[in-house]
Amino acid sequence: MKQQKRRFMFLLAMVFAVSALLSACGGNGGGKDASGAKNANTGSNAAVNSANSGGDQAGPDISQEVKLKMLLVGGKPADYDEVFGELNKLLKEKINATVETEFLDWADWTQKYPLKFAANEDFDIVYTANWAFYNDQARKGGFLELTEDMLKTYMPKTWEAMPAVSWDQAKVDGKLYMVPNNNMEVTDKVVIIREDLRKKYNLEPINSPETYAAYVKAVGANEKGMSAFGAKPADGWKWHELDQALLEQQNEWNLIDYSFPLAYKLTDEKGQLFNVYDTPEFRELLTYYKDLADNKGWSKNIVSNKNDVWQDMKAGKVGSYAQTLGTVGANLAELRRDKPEYEGAIVDLTPDKKKIASISTQNGMAIHATSKNAERSLMLIDLLQNDKEIHDLTMYGIAGKHYEPVGDDRFSAGPSAANYTGFSNWGWNSPLNRKDASYPVEADEILKDWEPKVHHFALETFVFDDSKVKNEVSNVGNVMLRYAIPLEYGLIDDLDKGQAELIKQLNSAGIGKIQEELQSQIDAFLAAQQ
Amino acid sequence: MRGHGFWSDVKKYRTLLLMLVPGVLFFLLFAYIPMAGIVLAFKQFNYSGGIFGSPWNGMDNFRFFFESGDAWRVTRNTALYNIAFIVVNNLLQIFAAILLFEVAGKWFRKITQTVMFLPYFISWVVVGAIAYNLFNYDVGTINVLLNKIGMESIDIYNTAAYWPVILVLVSAWKALGYGTIMYLAAITSIDTEMYEAAEIDGANIFQRIRKITIPNLMPTIIILVLLAIGNIFRGDFGMFYNMVGNNGLLFSSTDVIDTFVFRSLITSNEIGMSAAAGFYQSVLGFATIMLANYAVRKYDKDHALF
Repeated sequence: MKQQKRRFMFLLAMVFAVSALLSACGGNGGGKDASGAKNANTGSNAAVNSANSGGDQAGPDISQEVKLKMLLVGGKPADYDEVFGELNKLLKEKINATVETEFLDWADWTQKYPLKFAANEDFDIVYTANWAFYNDQARKGGFLELTEDMLKTYMPKTWEAMPAVSWDQAKVDGKLYMVPNNNMEVTDKVVIIREDLRKKYNLEPINSPETYAAYVKAVGANEKGMSAFGAKPADGWKWHELDQALLEQQNEWNLIDYSFPLAYKLTDEKGQLFNVYDTPEFRELLTYYKDLADNKGWSKNIVSNKNDVWQDMKAGKVGSYAQTLGTVGANLAELRRDKPEYEGAIVDLTPDKKKIASISTQNGMAIHATSKNAERSLMLIDLLQNDKEIHDLTMYGIAGKHYEPVGDDRFSAGPSAANYTGFSNWGWNSPLNRKDASYPVEADEILKDWEPKVHHFALETFVFDDSKVKNEVSNVGNVMLRYAIPLEYGLIDDLDKGQAELIKQLNSAGIGKIQEELQSQIDAFLAAQQ
Repeated sequence: MRGHGFWSDVKKYRTLLLMLVPGVLFFLLFAYIPMAGIVLAFKQFNYSGGIFGSPWNGMDNFRFFFESGDAWRVTRNTALYNIAFIVVNNLLQIFAAILLFEVAGKWFRKITQTVMFLPYFISWVVVGAIAYNLFNYDVGTINVLLNKIGMESIDIYNTAAYWPVILVLVSAWKALGYGTIMYLAAITSIDTEMYEAAEIDGANIFQRIRKITIPNLMPTIIILVLLAIGNIFRGDFGMFYNMVGNNGLLFSSTDVIDTFVFRSLITSNEIGMSAAAGFYQSVLGFATIMLANYAVRKYDKDHALF
């Protein structure tokens, strides 16, 4: 009896202890994080200050070994341990540090990425990009501000190699939070088609919207079980996937942000905004799309699609899809390797139009605002981007295993290339990048052909601060998903009525207010440049 | 005096209290402590400030939801779907439970129960994929079958009118086994002497069900329904999102508060606005459950939750 009582008291005590512990965790979490953040901030500032005062004589102090933590986007490569083990040996030697990487898988990175900041997890370096929360997190205080002194002190090689304009493009409200990649890309979309099918139906080479329509209709009419055009699974993208080519590039417009339909003409130095849905060009394009949809150009269920479009194309279920040149170039190389019976080709539907180069924030690396090792982190990024040995290792893996170096600037895939790929090491793209020797020559030629057509313009680096019109942006996005997408994919029969309804809904969602706010920011941006 | 104090009561009911501890802990950790996060609905969230340090912004976070013009539509959809789910699911579950109870044969009963229970374990993501393969216009099973017997294909994914029916059926299919087991347990606990007495008095099976089973089930039914009513303004996000996805043509009849908020805010990551929408749902839910409970109390005090 006595023993039983004692056992009960013990249990009760345990329960109370555990509950006290748990509730303490829950209650203090926020406070602890906040104070931790403050400390880390002052810590790194102090470190930077001391480095500034004493940096000239001795260079950065690396006597203390540190462990860095890096966040990258993408699946963890199978041979991560091997490659990063090798990397850590080099890092230990060069900057007395090692790095550990956490991968946010493609499937749910958009949800996890902001949470890492919201929960203020412990990490030092993080991949970021204009399409991966850069402006958003910079404004929310997720990244450490990088000063010119820091860059000069801790990443001298990058400071030397990076064009000044790339730094400028990465600034948010005049402050820099990112070490952008150093690599020019063109953002224009092209289309990958099945060249064997084009030849089978004796069609003209595709180089315009009309010749492409002929291809889509021929494939739709004759190839059973195949969609002539395919789109990625609906993930909230608010446009027809040919819009970038057929609406934006074709008319030489530039959409500020794909979350709402406001654009200006590339040639317009004043950057006068207009609603793209309310233009005759859009109305014409709707007729074009409707014609394709009615001729079995794509599946009636394209907006509910759940399959990966490229895999479907490889499986012979899709006849074409649109993406950036880099992606379809890699696709084409893959097709030639895996499916030699299909012949692929890259086609540009708007070959003579002006091209837009991606700005430097297309890829980049940033330092977490609460990192305790900001200096060493910057040194690491410096090495990743501009140290030939480390750059080769982290971009392509181990020579002879994951890749074979071809000369100094090319490579071919090694026997286990598939075990080291698929994540955002593009964050440190640089002139040291090697080109895939199997990368299709056509793709290179298209790029070469584009280079003189690249158009630079005053608003290239303009970034919209949407904090005053967030409600409107959210609501406009909803209207686009609900009214624009079905209209563009030809699922609504009366185009005039559909377009009128779309415009009406956009107006009541507050597109006018966004336009006003955006125009005033553009005007201010242009005025400041003169 | 010592015999009637607080501590002696604790000692007396220690086993019961101990059994209560996990439940209390659960709600403390996952319901009461996080409730402090409600403040986010009134704040402009930023990371450096965190939950409690971010600046206040009054009712700004609520503007998004109510100015969208869709607040009424999605609220109505959410409530109507949930009412349909509650009515249809409970009726089917009670019906299945009574059938299973009356059917003799242990093996038959066990196997039927298991088969009915299986859908409960299938994730909505998988159900969504199954549905896509059933309903697809070009290669879906239903349309292939229709074509085989010489009928036209039906365009399910582009016709909003089908979806309320589809969603109610899918929800019923998935919840059937779980609810049936709860009701079956309640029926099994009914005193068998009542049935014997009724049988001797010459009551047939339908009379026994109507006069004994259903009245005895009433308390269980009322409690389950009351609990469900508290969640009437929360859409089952997993279900709606995986079944409908981002298909704009179906939004008019399938959009619930949760999918609407998710879709609007997933790209902008405005934690404050999402918190505001959640707060709105909670307030509505609280009001409905208070009303429903009040109504039940009026009708029969013993059956009310509190």
